[in-house]
Amino acid sequence: MDSKVLADVLAKLRFSESLPDEVLQRVAAASKLEGYAAGSVLFREGMQNDVLMVVAVGRVALDMHVPGRGEVRILSLGPGDMVAWSALLGGGRMTTSAVALDDTQVVAISAADAQALCETDPTFGYHLMRQVAMALAHRLVATRLQLLDLFADTPPAIPQGPD
Amino acid sequence: MSTGAAVANPWLAAPIEIAGVTPELAGVATYHMRFRDAKRHAQFRFRPGQFNMLYLPGVGEIAISLSGAGGLGGTWDHTIRVAGNVTRALADLGPGGSLGLRGPYGSWWPVEETAGADLVVVAGGIGLAPLRPVLDAWLAAPKRLGRCTLLYGGRTPDTLLYAKQHARWADAGVDVQTTVDRADVGWTGNVGVVPLLLDRIRPLVPKNTVLLVCGPEVMMRYAVLSGLARGLAKEQIWVSLERNMQCAVGLCGHCQLGPAFVCKDGPIFRYDKIEPYFDVEGL
Amino acid sequence: MTAAAKRPQRDGPTLWLARADLQTLVDVLWQEGYRVIGPTVAQAAIVYDEIRSVDDLPRGWTDEQSGGSYRLKRRDDEAYFGYVVGPHSWKQYLFPPRATVAVADRRADGWHMSGVERDEPAFAFLGARACELAALAVQDRTFLGDDYVDPIYRARRERAFIVAVNCTQAASTCFCTSMDTGPRCTGGFDLAMTELPDGFTLEVGSERGARIAAQLPNTAAAKDTLARADSARQQAVEQISKHLDTTDIRDLLLNNLEHERWNEVATRCLSCTNCTMVCPTCFCNSVKDVADLQGDHVERVREWDTCFNWDFSYMNGAVVRDQIRSRYRQWLTHKLASWIDQFDVSGCVGCGRCITWCPVGIDLTEEVAAIRETAP
Ligand SMILES: Cc1cc2nc3c(=O)[nH]c(=O)nc-3n(C[C@H](O)[C@H](O)[C@H](O)COP(=O)(O)OP(=O)(O)OC[C@H]3O[C@@H](n4cnc5c(N)ncnc54)[C@H](O)[C@@H]3O)c2cc1C
Ligand code: SF4
Repeated sequence: MDSKVLADVLAKLRFSESLPDEVLQRVAAASKLEGYAAGSVLFREGMQNDVLMVVAVGRVALDMHVPGRGEVRILSLGPGDMVAWSALLGGGRMTTSAVALDDTQVVAISAADAQALCETDPTFGYHLMRQVAMALAHRLVATRLQLLDLFADTPPAIPQGPD
Repeated sequence: MSTGAAVANPWLAAPIEIAGVTPELAGVATYHMRFRDAKRHAQFRFRPGQFNMLYLPGVGEIAISLSGAGGLGGTWDHTIRVAGNVTRALADLGPGGSLGLRGPYGSWWPVEETAGADLVVVAGGIGLAPLRPVLDAWLAAPKRLGRCTLLYGGRTPDTLLYAKQHARWADAGVDVQTTVDRADVGWTGNVGVVPLLLDRIRPLVPKNTVLLVCGPEVMMRYAVLSGLARGLAKEQIWVSLERNMQCAVGLCGHCQLGPAFVCKDGPIFRYDKIEPYFDVEGL
Repeated sequence: MTAAAKRPQRDGPTLWLARADLQTLVDVLWQEGYRVIGPTVAQAAIVYDEIRSVDDLPRGWTDEQSGGSYRLKRRDDEAYFGYVVGPHSWKQYLFPPRATVAVADRRADGWHMSGVERDEPAFAFLGARACELAALAVQDRTFLGDDYVDPIYRARRERAFIVAVNCTQAASTCFCTSMDTGPRCTGGFDLAMTELPDGFTLEVGSERGARIAAQLPNTAAAKDTLARADSARQQAVEQISKHLDTTDIRDLLLNNLEHERWNEVATRCLSCTNCTMVCPTCFCNSVKDVADLQGDHVERVREWDTCFNWDFSYMNGAVVRDQIRSRYRQWLTHKLASWIDQFDVSGCVGCGRCITWCPVGIDLTEEVAAIRETAP
């Protein structure tokens, strides 16, 4: 797929919609579009993976393996969401498994190319890293909310006494 | 000061009875209610988002939103989670049970006021109950000018309220998206908190979108932030608040949140009106 | 418009009631069917109770007040109304501390709910101060001002006859001049008196007041009497030393909900509820069910409650204002700020009761000043 089409796809995604056009074009040049059928695995926990992905179409679930409990689903991602950030920041070792929930397309950005660009062009690096950091920060907040377990049944407490 | 004329007693409840009960989830059921007095029954009207005070003599009185109407030969519905004394006693009453009602009270979701806009309904847990009449109204509208999206989150798949109706709503044109905090085996739906769904909706035309939010306060706070990040103005976002209520008519002082009486200025607030007080701890 | 403000203000001449005829006023009020309530000495304070005779009044007594302190003291004259305000206010008569608001009875076909038929008493309040008239007007807005009206308050308020007595002295806790509520009674009364050693000037504030005045042995007050009354009242003005700067007070408080001062005052406040109990405008209440032994007859009983009670804001198994900081903040911001949004008037009339009766002497004027001084 040519990089102009990819740039168009990227431009419409939340992950990259605010990237300056020049940066976007260069990301597109380092990317390819990949398709995954529903149920197929994008990567597995612990394996090496060298592409940073942005979901373009469909949904992807992140699972972690817990001995005795099997695969625990942590999060599902949809269009515009970033997947496999550890390809860029974590040396490529995947912290979760990723499974396509629907027929899914992702923009796969070569982590090596992206890293090289970051090294040689700090402006590019700033924009890309800012995007990644924002996406991670957002996910961190969402994870905290999930952790709060807001819908857990609070046992009806009788007031216990002041202060 | 006018003299003489008797004033209505704001504390006086009218007798109603439980016409039927639909179990929903563990600890949650929908109660179909009617007035014992047929004339009073025929006159009962409410707007989506309003609530009633349900009174169980000897036990207590609680604020409960209206969650629907028109079932079981013209009853109206309350979907109630067992949380303590009154809700438990109510659950024990069962069909035919006798209780009292005052209402409806409070403000409502701006359904008529925003006709034509795209509705994004964001609900968490039991918070879907007061929003169900919004979906009903949208589905019943003779002409659909805008789209309707439901973003609904719960703890686990088996705690999603009105699950059987989701497909019906979807068939009728509502974009229904659900998500859970904790998935179980076999769940192929979304996992994660509701605001994430709001981040993803596409297309979303900020100018023409109205966000209606009801759920735990923390969830609402982040849903509002997501809405704002999507370009909505504060005036396009409505939230539903909850406080201890005794009188429901602004005479008891319990439900205050800053200058607002949640009972009569709310429970549904346009976000810009309540923003300074929405996120202040212990207010 | 408040009930009080609607009363016709009469332009008739100021009358003179000789000291010896004060009993006639009390008698006439009883004859007219009023239950006369006024100041009397009990429990080492001047409180309100039934008055049959002028001998019930606190003749020759005065009160000495400051933050956290109230003392009765002998006067060197025999004035009947030579004190300021005590722990009571008229609120307890119009908005009773405990009242049954509805009942429910279980019959074969289920619960039957009904109101409570009662003949509300007609009170005559003898000795209402200007700040108390203002407090009545404030409570009128709360209980009568919106779509829903409190029936007990309304019935009692409509019937109540008010004999105001102008202050001729002030306590160190008074700040009515800051709240624009006194010390002069300017409206909202049926009769208003100013006490002088030999009698009372008498102003008529309503038709009802005129009917009562007509039954009293009175004459038009002489010019020099009016001058003496003026200077007696002026004495109160001059004695007021406390001040609350109300400039932009609503925004000052609501824009400083996270001010450090809330933490500081929380270390002193005991959350004892005294300030709200003595406040003539506080209206918070709770309703609970009281059932008979079979549980077939249930009364809904409304009682005074207060935002200082720990479980006042209970919901969903937790308490919203679980810290004293939150509760004090709620009280002060409601009284002085959000009250203005809600009722278009301040909830504070400057009577100073909350200062006097606070066991640790917290003074709301100082709290506001501290916030004002250091607000960003
Ligand atoms: C406007 C409004 C709409 C509501 N709609 C619904 C609904 O549709 N479905 C539903 O299940 N719940 C709803 N609630 C919450 C419901 O009122 C409480 O769950 C209920 O009061 C708990 O009563 P309880 O006696 O069983 O619990 P307890 O913990 O025993 O509570 C004792 C008393 O405290 C007060 N109280 C406790 N929690 C609340 C609360 N959250 N809000 C107000 N007062 C409270 C009540 O007076 C209650 O009787 C609503 C609350 C409000 C304010
Ligand atoms: S301010 Fe004083 S009177 Fe009021 S609750 Fe605190 S300690 Fe009690």
